[in-house]
Amino acid sequence: MSNKTNIGSLFLVISILIATPGASAQTKAEPAVETQQINGQHSQHRRGAKNIVLTDSEGAVAQLWKPDLSIQPLTIKHDSITLPRTGVDNYHAVVVEKDRGLLKESYIRYEYMHGKPSGHSTSELTASRKSTFEIIPDPVPREHQHYQSGETWNFVLRFKGTPAAGIPVTLETSQGSSVDAVSDSAGKISLTIPDDFPDVKEGVRDQRRAELVIHAEMIEDGVTFRTRLGSEYRVNPSHWQSFGLGTAVTGLGMLAGVFLGRIKRTETKRTLR
Amino acid sequence: MNPVYNLSFIRKLVQIAAFAFFVYGGTLTGYYLADKVTGSLPALSCAYDKQGSDLCTLIPLQHQMNHRLGEVIASGGNLMMGLMPSLITLGTFLILFVFLNKAFCGWLCPLGTFQELLHNLGQKLGLQRRESLGQGLVQRIRPIKWLILLLLVFGFPLMAGIGWVNHDLGDPFCRICPSRILTTLATGDASQLNLDHANGTTLTLSLIADFLFGLIIVLALTVRQPFCRICPMLALHAVFRKLGLLRLVKNARPRCEKCGLCAKACPMDISEIHTEMQKRDVTFEDCTLCGRCVEFCPDKDVLQLKYATIPVFSADPAYFKQRKKDQRTWEGDNLYALLKNTADGPGGKQS
Repeated sequence: MSNKTNIGSLFLVISILIATPGASAQTKAEPAVETQQINGQHSQHRRGAKNIVLTDSEGAVAQLWKPDLSIQPLTIKHDSITLPRTGVDNYHAVVVEKDRGLLKESYIRYEYMHGKPSGHSTSELTASRKSTFEIIPDPVPREHQHYQSGETWNFVLRFKGTPAAGIPVTLETSQGSSVDAVSDSAGKISLTIPDDFPDVKEGVRDQRRAELVIHAEMIEDGVTFRTRLGSEYRVNPSHWQSFGLGTAVTGLGMLAGVFLGRIKRTETKRTLR
Repeated sequence: MNPVYNLSFIRKLVQIAAFAFFVYGGTLTGYYLADKVTGSLPALSCAYDKQGSDLCTLIPLQHQMNHRLGEVIASGGNLMMGLMPSLITLGTFLILFVFLNKAFCGWLCPLGTFQELLHNLGQKLGLQRRESLGQGLVQRIRPIKWLILLLLVFGFPLMAGIGWVNHDLGDPFCRICPSRILTTLATGDASQLNLDHANGTTLTLSLIADFLFGLIIVLALTVRQPFCRICPMLALHAVFRKLGLLRLVKNARPRCEKCGLCAKACPMDISEIHTEMQKRDVTFEDCTLCGRCVEFCPDKDVLQLKYATIPVFSADPAYFKQRKKDQRTWEGDNLYALLKNTADGPGGKQS
């Protein structure tokens, strides 16, 4: 087994773009997530078609796993995948695989899509074997949640459906940071996303997004398996949300409660007189 | 009194079990929102609590006003399509609500339980409590819950969706709801207790939320159910209360006019339970169907909790006598009394 990953040989997901419906053609962007105001909708909800840009995707096969575990083939066109609208709410998995004989690669990305309630839990999607070797979020950020800088999240490495122990794993961000870890006996790893957004101003909301990729490699019977899990992450709101001040205001509320209680007692005494 | 026959004791057990289930039950039901039991619970079980088993109906309603109806209105789309998600949420809410009516507040709401437990703590500490708020104050407080429902649950989220107000007002009730802070803190997550100084709106909302949370903690020690009195869920319940199968029923007798123990027992200070002499259905808008008024009614069958037409708990003189005695004992056994007795010594108070 080896933890040396030749990134250059992998098909890399460079960026995810949110496209205006009907306008799937996007130019390549820097390794970051862009959001656009779409037909007056709030950009936070990103209901437009999503575009995934790959490199070195020749010979790769892409699939979209829906929440009900049905699979829809995806077309890779000019190193780019435009995710179709499925009309179903909840997480979907984009799975891109490339078989080069002695090198088998996979890229998986969990994308939230909007639509009718799927009636299926994301745990069904994560439990399903989508590739021979894969990194599974444990858990995927819940609906309306996101990976955020400075947060620690758990992942599980699975090889042929069973936990893969003792595998070195690396998290890399598009900001240039990296974190290493090794999976435990249950295949689990715990990774803290670097708080690496540049020029974050304390007290100012920062809605920037960046990309992270977690990758691992293992060799069995002379065949090298490489897997990558991609996602976006955002600036941690603790930069503009203060726990200390929040606690202080709660304390003021408690003092006000005491004060109101004292008024009450005074009124009661007056009434009694 | 044997606790098995004590309605308050039974209710407390149900409340604690419901608190554990709604706040920590996600370990049984699952982590994701799609795993939650209904997604439209008629009680303040918060979606921000990642270990919770269900979420309050006010959360989807605010989101749907904002992201569905508001956006449809803004884009001139099909209004029915914009309304449909809210109708489905309200439909789910009603299916649940019909079974228990306003008892979701009095028996199942985690925030209601928290306030009651704090009040019990106040009793045990021997704090000087206010048994009832003045009727003038009660009357002035009552409209607040309707204002919060109309403005914070429906109004501002809708206006945010249309684009008339900023996006931070898309879920303003959740931003000030004490249940959000309580339930997340209960699971060891302090991320919701913060002062958000990103802009004026978030600062104002987080100031209100934190202040209100602190205020309620202290007020609940001496005043019964302080937040319930302004809770928009209580107002939403009030709209549909005629559809619920569980009701509070009164068979008024002439003695009722001079008694009034029911109103004194009521944690929501609903004096109308006492004064109403005509209507049989006395499930008033502020009622949480806790059944305390029935417990403390001294006359047989004057007050009843009825499920459809079947009485499930009725006023009874023997129960009343025992219950009143138990209440005195419960309130008498407190820290203040213990310290006072210890200071006075075995011979009693020395003058």
